[in-house]
Amino acid sequence: MKTAALIAAQIAGLLLINQAGYSAVSVLHLPVPGNLLGMLFLLTLLVSGAVPLRWFESSASFLIRHLAFFFIPITVGLMGFADLFVANGAAILLTLVLSAAIGIWVAGHVAQMLGARRGKTR
Amino acid sequence: MTAPGVSAFCVAVTLGAYLLSRVLARRYPSPLTTPVFCSTALIIAVLTPSGVGVADYEPAKRLMVLLLGPATVSLAVPLYKNRHTLLRNTLPALVGLGVGSLATLGAAVVIARLLGLPEVIRASISIKSVTTPIAVELAPIVHGNPTLTAAFVIATGMIGTMLGPWLMNRVGIHDPLSRGLALGTISHGQGTAQAVTEGELQGAAAGIAMGLAAVFTSCIAPFLVPILR
Repeated sequence: MKTAALIAAQIAGLLLINQAGYSAVSVLHLPVPGNLLGMLFLLTLLVSGAVPLRWFESSASFLIRHLAFFFIPITVGLMGFADLFVANGAAILLTLVLSAAIGIWVAGHVAQMLGARRGKTR
Repeated sequence: MTAPGVSAFCVAVTLGAYLLSRVLARRYPSPLTTPVFCSTALIIAVLTPSGVGVADYEPAKRLMVLLLGPATVSLAVPLYKNRHTLLRNTLPALVGLGVGSLATLGAAVVIARLLGLPEVIRASISIKSVTTPIAVELAPIVHGNPTLTAAFVIATGMIGTMLGPWLMNRVGIHDPLSRGLALGTISHGQGTAQAVTEGELQGAAAGIAMGLAAVFTSCIAPFLVPILR
């Protein structure tokens, strides 16, 4: 019960930071998602030491553990896109597989090359 | 059923499907038992014969995604915890995730175009390597559709998790930091979960890459996607 109350209070804090992110985006007309800015706000608070990690640690681990839940109501909307997938399924799959392979190869290769050039063994 | 009744039914079905798919994922771990994929299929299978359409599901959806914002904000916590891994490997990490993000975004849009996919798909697919909670917010900014983007992001998570380790073995990417970085950059949360199974450094690198690649792509996509698509 105490843990639940603690998590609820922490989530209220996270909601406030999230809201601050959306407000900043709308006031400054930034072309980035408000929740992304909220994440950067919290990161800044943690790095600067203005807020200790323990204030948000248990709610963050709870929300991240169940992060997948929040995507489900969004993907249920795929119900309305059946025709689109029937018509374009193969092309979509090919695009996804090729672009993922290219991205993984480039990201891994570049990082490995730069790490090796510095003569660092990890 | 009344409208609140329909919404209560939708929430119950969604929660039930989620809990069931978590059990399935634990008992039969496979990309096909990924909770989002599995739950979505279950929910659609229940709602369609019940005569509940996308429009009827909308109020329940709005209620259930209320905590998506704070959940996204809390991604700062793993980023903060892994900051030392980033500080020790700043150059390879930042350049690797930056160039990798650009490559996958560019490749997706160009390939989608060559294959003649419609514009809404090209825009929605461009940001498929961004972690879902940020991608669904980024989608309208790049004139994509959030639902399509969410589906592409989750499919990319599954594809990268299945293909990534094999591909990196084939092309000689053996450095643990680079392997984690590539998985996190392209396959976000699911890639990070895969990287954790390879080792601690891989997991930390993937977590950082997932967060920072989302920041990077969110900043460049609004300018780059309109040019490419």
